[in-house]
Amino acid sequence: MDILIEILIYGSIRSITLVLMALGFALVYGTSRVPNFAHGALYIINGFIVWSFLRLLGLDYFFSILLAIIVIGVIGALIYQIILIRVRGIAISEIIASYAIGLAILEGLRWGGFKGMTYTLPTFIQGSIFIVGVPVDLHRIVVLICGAALIGFLWLFTHYTRIGLALRGMAQDERAALMLGIDSDRMAVVAMVFGSMLAGLAAVLLLPLGNIVVESGYNVLILAIAVCIVGGLGSWMGAVLAAFLIGFAQILTEVYLGTHFKTVVALLAIIITLILRPSGLFGRQKELEERV
Amino acid sequence: MGKRNIKMVLVFLMAIFLILPGQTAFAEKSIIIGAPLSTAFLYGWDAERGIKLAVEEINAAGGVNVGGKKRPFKVEVIDTRDLEPGVPVSEALLAVEELILEKNADFILGGPIRSEAGLAAMDLLSKYKKISILTTGVLTPAYHARVAKDYDKYKYLFRITGEAKWIAGGEQIPALIEIGKKFNLNSVYIMIQDVAWARAFGGIFAKILAKKGWTVIGKPEIYPTGSTDFSMGLLKARREKAQVVIIAMDMPESSILLKQWYDMKVPALPFGSIIAAAEQPGFWKATEGKGEYTLANVINAGNAPSNATDWTMKFYNAYTKMWGIEPEGYGTSSSYMGVYVLKDAIESAWTLDSDSVAAALEKTDTMGVYGRIKFDPKSHQVMPSLDPNTGAVGSIFQWQAGKRVVVFPKSIAMDEIIRLLTGPK
Repeated sequence: MDILIEILIYGSIRSITLVLMALGFALVYGTSRVPNFAHGALYIINGFIVWSFLRLLGLDYFFSILLAIIVIGVIGALIYQIILIRVRGIAISEIIASYAIGLAILEGLRWGGFKGMTYTLPTFIQGSIFIVGVPVDLHRIVVLICGAALIGFLWLFTHYTRIGLALRGMAQDERAALMLGIDSDRMAVVAMVFGSMLAGLAAVLLLPLGNIVVESGYNVLILAIAVCIVGGLGSWMGAVLAAFLIGFAQILTEVYLGTHFKTVVALLAIIITLILRPSGLFGRQKELEERV
Repeated sequence: MGKRNIKMVLVFLMAIFLILPGQTAFAEKSIIIGAPLSTAFLYGWDAERGIKLAVEEINAAGGVNVGGKKRPFKVEVIDTRDLEPGVPVSEALLAVEELILEKNADFILGGPIRSEAGLAAMDLLSKYKKISILTTGVLTPAYHARVAKDYDKYKYLFRITGEAKWIAGGEQIPALIEIGKKFNLNSVYIMIQDVAWARAFGGIFAKILAKKGWTVIGKPEIYPTGSTDFSMGLLKARREKAQVVIIAMDMPESSILLKQWYDMKVPALPFGSIIAAAEQPGFWKATEGKGEYTLANVINAGNAPSNATDWTMKFYNAYTKMWGIEPEGYGTSSSYMGVYVLKDAIESAWTLDSDSVAAALEKTDTMGVYGRIKFDPKSHQVMPSLDPNTGAVGSIFQWQAGKRVVVFPKSIAMDEIIRLLTGPK
């Protein structure tokens, strides 16, 4: 019984963690069809930006977070306007260009001396509580609540705001959206800004649990891709459900097979999905395209 | 000639006089030390600093006497990246080959650091007949076992730092048994990283502790490099009432484990046999003191403050002065000593010839930063001991009130282990 409760609690936390890591990637691809392979780098650089504001400039923690998320949004917009817009529509070039940007950011950080394990951010709340006898620290509870709130916010945003509806229109059919007066380039910038800010938000929520290390950027990218492929590229709700699927699968693997198999879970999920259902669990759009 | 011109001539002449002695002292060609290190990781950058400190001291003292001529050391460092997730062995091998062929390294010192890369580089080093002194990483016992098994092929390879078998069986288990007696503990949970040295370590630990009557909970829990969540393992340790959690991880993410240990209130003492995150002086600030009472093994004395030999604190202070930070962890004092031992061997051999220097290294018997340095003549492994007068001595410290206090071995301990083992405060 104890184990079941542990699995339920920590499986939910792991799943929400994956949701946070993947939402930004899913949003950018879902609307602009640009696979933003710099997603992991944006996640990490935002951690270092917050750290710099907090530790070097001595700004207030929450003001640092707010400022950093704005900065990362601007960086995202610049990446799109300066580089990605030039290769828009050429899938392989988009992948290469965005991956190269990510690589340049991560390796640049390493080259600039951002290495080691002493770059940390404080948790929002100190302390732990026991839920049915299972210890959980309060920051993880914050992650859980914020993750759930973010999913709700994104749903409302994409269904009840003009920008959100325009983004959905773009995701469904870019040409039709153009005919209705939606500026696809402008919306793609908006998507990139939102995607970058979501990566930044994930970073400020998750990095206080550990430390800011460059290598994590690659892990975040891999996990985000895994979640989006399983959920169906372009489907935000698919990404959320896939995150829960992978999250719980990872926890169950750890408990019943061994922790060293947990990395395999995400990669195995990609392979199985690509074999059995290439469009992912909820990739209806792509499925239709494939049928045609 | 105006006063201003006279002044300029004087400055020019002074500059020449200042430059000339330096040129004449090192008119001879430099001896190149190639250092393949994973420089983005603690065990890489700390080793690099240790090597550079020794080189600076030796060069300042006149250099190395090779056949009657004084020659300076020069260090060439290439990032092997072998400590990164996925163990990119091929990149480490390329780095070693580049050092030999392009940088014309006379000797290889430092790494590769990851055991898998170190083992793979053995054939390459023996092919080029390059003397290699491992000063950081490659803790797998397979390394020196292979040297002993095929001595003629691998006679150029030495290791001046510890290896998993001794660290576990000779240092850490005796320390653990001592702690167990003192605080009435006998149950252990082992969490290790999925790399060769740590797997060897976990196996040795589980086997010996079980023989000694300890309860070993399950099999060693293996975590892939780069893991960022240890909750399920820690919950198991909690559920099964482990009293000590043995950790063998060199990845930076090990600090997450210690934070989780604290946050999840696991009532067991974390004992790191190599726990990169807890070794650094910055650990205290980074974890906001959450890691208090954590024990960590930094493998060689000198990597944490102690009075193992007369040279220990001299090195410690010189390092702190040069780099503006204390030696941060494993790989520092051994890398520093590696340069000095190499210098002595070259001077004794009177040449840079690999066979002659290898023979001279085998005869090494000197008192260094972490005790008496001698190599086993068959395996070329530095001979360990719990007494610095008889061999290379290790260093296990405990975080006490923000300081790294060496608590084992007794011969160099600065204080007692103070933790009341009830978990995080």
